[in-house]
Amino acid sequence: MMNDTIKDLKTEQAFANQIQKTFKTARVRVVREKRVEVIMSADMIPPYLTHAKNQHDFEHLTHISCVDWLEEGHFELVYILWSYSMNIQLLVKCRIPRHEPEFISIHKIWDHAETYEREIHEMYGITFAGNDNLGEFLLEDWDGPPPMRRDFDTVKYSQENFKDRMDARQDAQNVRETITKRSGEEMPDFAKPYSLR
Amino acid sequence: MDININDKDGRKIVDIIQSYASKHSLWVLAYGTGCGAIEIPPTMTSRYDAERFGITGRPTPRMADVLLITGYLATKTLKRVIRSYEQMQSPKYVIGFGSCTINGGMYWDSYNTIKSLDHYLPVDVYINGCMPRPEAVISGFVKLQEMISNGEAKGWEKYRDNIDLYRSQQKEVIKNWQMPDYNW
Repeated sequence: MMNDTIKDLKTEQAFANQIQKTFKTARVRVVREKRVEVIMSADMIPPYLTHAKNQHDFEHLTHISCVDWLEEGHFELVYILWSYSMNIQLLVKCRIPRHEPEFISIHKIWDHAETYEREIHEMYGITFAGNDNLGEFLLEDWDGPPPMRRDFDTVKYSQENFKDRMDARQDAQNVRETITKRSGEEMPDFAKPYSLR
Repeated sequence: MDININDKDGRKIVDIIQSYASKHSLWVLAYGTGCGAIEIPPTMTSRYDAERFGITGRPTPRMADVLLITGYLATKTLKRVIRSYEQMQSPKYVIGFGSCTINGGMYWDSYNTIKSLDHYLPVDVYINGCMPRPEAVISGFVKLQEMISNGEAKGWEKYRDNIDLYRSQQKEVIKNWQMPDYNW
């Protein structure tokens, strides 16, 4: 049984070496079993994804994710792929400059990438050239900055736009205690705080 | 002003009978927002059996008396809620359900979620808790029944009389207002 749980990373390592041989500038790393990470420059992304889909059976694009590296001035796009034949999850990462948030659409490789790109466009303000459908997606009538960017202050925005209850009591009180006092009943044992039991 | 001998505390006898009838047939619009709707099936089904109070679900706003707001409201959802509310036939009541409708709850700093429901719709009863259990839900409904029989649940009259105020507050968060006007 023990031998089953400790996996050797032979498949992952062989696959990683293969990528490294073909794409010399990429940085390939085996993260753990069933997970390989590839970091490459942005211009290599469309050819590499085509290669991964056609040569290594990465036929499933699970998600496109975006990370905001505010201090370094980058957006990081993460393409998460899955191969059913190798059972490997592949993370393809690239960085694009924050002041010029433009990238190329990959919806010709996977059709459903269009939807993920629409979401990233709405939440981070990245435009994807070639995707004609970058309109309103989840937010309706949104006129603020893209809300998932780290320099967007959600607390300030919500205080400015949504009225709060001004007469609200801000302290937390024990609801059960209040109710038992009001109704004149004794609090059951299971409801008491541990210190009083 | 003619005073009928059957009138009680300034309320007409017909109103008293009508409120007696409507408090025992609170029909709830089957519309769930947020996560609170998950507490409605146990409330309605055999364990807590809310139907013994005359509380049951209805498919369309025009059949319903009670609009149960079960959780947080994004501005996008608020638009749909206002449309549903305005299509309901009066007398109609609103129950705010969970802490999200009271002060935003865990969405207090969200960029797209309203904080206090009664700026936009007249709320008759609030049920606090995150989530309120079915007992709390039923207790809220019983409170509403008491208010109806005392003639206190007049949120819909307040909304009708102050429609301009409510509209202006609704338009603050719903910027692109493209809604039909209903007449009462």
